[in-house]
Amino acid sequence: MSPRPHLIALAAIVVLGLLYAFGSKDAVTLDLVFTLFLYATLGQSWNWISGYAGNISFGHAIFFGCGAYAAALCTNAGLSPWLAVPAGALVAAALALVTGFPTLALRGHYFSIATIAVGALVDTYVRTQGWLGMANGFELPIKNGLGWLQFSDKGPYVALALGLFALVQLATLALERSRLGYYLRALRANHAAAASVGIDERRWKLIAFTSCATFAALAGVLYAQYTLFVDPPSTLALSISIDIALIGVVGGIGTLWGPLVGASVYVLLAKEVALRLGGSGKGYDLVIYGAIICLIAAWRPHGIVGSIIDALRRRRGAADVVSVQNPAEAA
Amino acid sequence: MTPLLEVRGLSKRFGSVRALDGVDFDAAQGELTGLIGPNGAGKSTAFGCIAGAMRPSGGSIRFASQEIAGLAYHRVARLGVGRTYQIVQTFADMTVLESVTTGALLRHPRVADARAHAEELLAFTGLAAKRDRLGRMLTIADKKRLEVARALATEPKLLLLDEVMAGLTPAECRDAVALLRRILERGVTVVMVEHVMEVLMPIAHHVVVIAAGKTIFSGAPAEAVRDPGVVAAYLGPPLEAAS
Amino acid sequence: MADAAVEALTTFALLVAGGLLTGLVFALVALGLTLVYGVMDVVNFAHGEFLMLAMYATLGLALLGIGPLVGLPLVAAALFLFGIVVYRIFIRRLLAGPPEATVFGTFGLLVLIQGAAQALFSSDYLSVPNRPLQGTLHLGPIALAQSALVEGAGALVLTALVFAFVEYTETGRAMRAVAEDRVAATLMGINVQRINALAFGIGAACVGAAGALLMLSYPVYPTVGSQFALTAFVVVALGGFGSIQGALVAALLVGLLEVLGGFYLSPELKMVPVYLAYLVVVLLRPQGLLGRR
Ligand SMILES: Nc1ncnc2c1ncn2[C@@H]1O[C@H](COP(=O)(O)OP(=O)(O)OP(=O)(O)O)[C@@H](O)[C@H]1O
Ligand SMILES: [Mg+2]
Repeated sequence: MSPRPHLIALAAIVVLGLLYAFGSKDAVTLDLVFTLFLYATLGQSWNWISGYAGNISFGHAIFFGCGAYAAALCTNAGLSPWLAVPAGALVAAALALVTGFPTLALRGHYFSIATIAVGALVDTYVRTQGWLGMANGFELPIKNGLGWLQFSDKGPYVALALGLFALVQLATLALERSRLGYYLRALRANHAAAASVGIDERRWKLIAFTSCATFAALAGVLYAQYTLFVDPPSTLALSISIDIALIGVVGGIGTLWGPLVGASVYVLLAKEVALRLGGSGKGYDLVIYGAIICLIAAWRPHGIVGSIIDALRRRRGAADVVSVQNPAEAA
Repeated sequence: MTPLLEVRGLSKRFGSVRALDGVDFDAAQGELTGLIGPNGAGKSTAFGCIAGAMRPSGGSIRFASQEIAGLAYHRVARLGVGRTYQIVQTFADMTVLESVTTGALLRHPRVADARAHAEELLAFTGLAAKRDRLGRMLTIADKKRLEVARALATEPKLLLLDEVMAGLTPAECRDAVALLRRILERGVTVVMVEHVMEVLMPIAHHVVVIAAGKTIFSGAPAEAVRDPGVVAAYLGPPLEAAS
Repeated sequence: MADAAVEALTTFALLVAGGLLTGLVFALVALGLTLVYGVMDVVNFAHGEFLMLAMYATLGLALLGIGPLVGLPLVAAALFLFGIVVYRIFIRRLLAGPPEATVFGTFGLLVLIQGAAQALFSSDYLSVPNRPLQGTLHLGPIALAQSALVEGAGALVLTALVFAFVEYTETGRAMRAVAEDRVAATLMGINVQRINALAFGIGAACVGAAGALLMLSYPVYPTVGSQFALTAFVVVALGGFGSIQGALVAALLVGLLEVLGGFYLSPELKMVPVYLAYLVVVLLRPQGLLGRR
């Protein structure tokens, strides 16, 4: 299929998003939109390894944390957080390489539990390191300006989050049309059959894993510069990893637009409704979000975007059958 | 000329089960070798070991004069061994064209090139009309055909076909035989497991019979059906021997 | 010198005893999880939330004057029914979808139940009033909390009961047949849906009983299930998904590692040896300790 419609849709989102980012003064909704694109980016990053490649990870937040902590360390050391962009990405890639090499060939739940274990070990490690702020985390000093990646209002942050999302979206569009994309989907569908056509599982999954880890790290840098505070629960805890995974699933795993749709449901529905019902912490947001996930898992198990694709395909498939039954065409 | 594939003393144990217990056979370059034997004889296991899907417990497998026993699955494929599965293993969520393209990417890393090769193979195998169907939507006959196309896409020197005709209608079988002849014309060496002797007889150059994990016959197809050992393996030992 | 050695040994013995007792409770929790996995290939990520519900139920009974040990069979029965209902209306649907549907469906259940508990009971830590068995039992130099002993012993008895049920009853055999090969079991005339529902109910009953026992020494709060469930996942994976014996061995191992790690490293690091052990084991044996390939 031609990438044209996807590119047009993405361009429209970017234009509208930019207009909104610099036009709106409503801090609450700007915050929601920032979170939306940040989570969509994280969801897409997760989608590479868990959606396309089929290794369901519950530890993706550690890569997000790499970026966030890199930004916090740089800014506190008086260095520009722009330096954290390559540094955080590099650390995340290295972490993905080291943890992915032994675990990526594990099957099914054995892999998922391993990601929980790795995530918990990283979390615990950070909590014991003085230079990483122990369990308390640390704040980032306020230094406004593009060079310091800090802005007095939320508009530029929204624009950056949007830009990052667009970048990752383009990378994913390219992935779907690349050798790597074909190989990941083949591995997900049937690893033995994939090996029988010469696909080296470890090699290709490592490439995917390290790539998507860097995307998550970039999101982490932006997040730290936005909140000016990092600590384990907000950047690398299991709960963040689970949020990321659930976003991927609600939208539809292994689909280009699933993460954005999933993030919209998560942010706009769960968070908005929670606000209306009197703030989170009371559990209503969880009840609603949990119910949505349950409903999707039971009635739309391919996620929202996945179901739409299925429906479209079924329509085309039905047309196919008709044409085969037509004797004139079959002859 | 040395055979393309030389299997010697191949053995494979699953716990206490000796699925293979010293299998020997050759497959000559450009020929079709039929591999037959009763259910549970170890034919599929032999394929698994040759293709690299399983690690043999002992013995040697030489492919194009190179030892490949115990080599990783994907490396064996890279060297030029293609295979199909007795129980089909299609990429359920990929279309026919995508599946075959995936195979072609081994020798043609650029997706556009691989696609072009895949399209050719779809025409060659008669799947062109179904190129946009998902793997899981195909009939058994088409799934088997798809596996052949996918394996051919890796441009193998040796193709291992495990019961590609099982469960096909007579008409589908005729198509499959015609396809086999075209594959041989391309110069691909084929080893084929097949239960239906009538199918194998006219196309096989050579037949290897294994029973209970051992090679019990190797020779011309016409002789295999007359060999008392082979007959006994299929029908059980003669009554006087059993008592 | 000698005194120090004796003291170190006593401490160690105490820790081992404590670790094994903890491990027995883990075994009961993990047993429910592995049983469900074995029969229907589902990792119930809401397993810990079932445990939390059981703990609230125990608390509720205690407030009505029914103590945890008397309440145990009631809570286990309630959870059994709850499990069957959840299977019938929800899990059954998930099984019809792709494999990841069960992962995320049970995760959704986790979020839903946790949120509901927060909304209903707030996030406060609540304990059973007038907890029984607050004394300690002295075995020579070793002093063990009575509650820990009762929890361990209770868990052991219940685990043995479930194990015996699966091994020796007709229904248990049917369960193992389904675990072995669903299609063949159907052909043998086994009603797979019924067996699935039963397994899910028994899995829930296991945490029902465990929850009642745990109220002897733990408070309950909406996220209490997570820590136990996380350990249970590791236990089940470490032992090999679906393997009952594997889960029992792994549970004792994890109990020991946790208690020893908590003491010799520091309480915050108690899970580190557990996770490391899991990673090392699956790297060497990708199917877990006693799992089948
Ligand atoms: N993964 C396995 N684990 C244990 N035993 C196995 C395994 N695979 C095969 N076997 C056993 O090895 C023996 C040979 O099996 P194999 O599938 O190779 O036979 P086959 O000749 O292909 O039979 P068929 O004609 O039925 O396909 C059988 O006894 C089978 O039960
Ligand atoms: Mg076979």
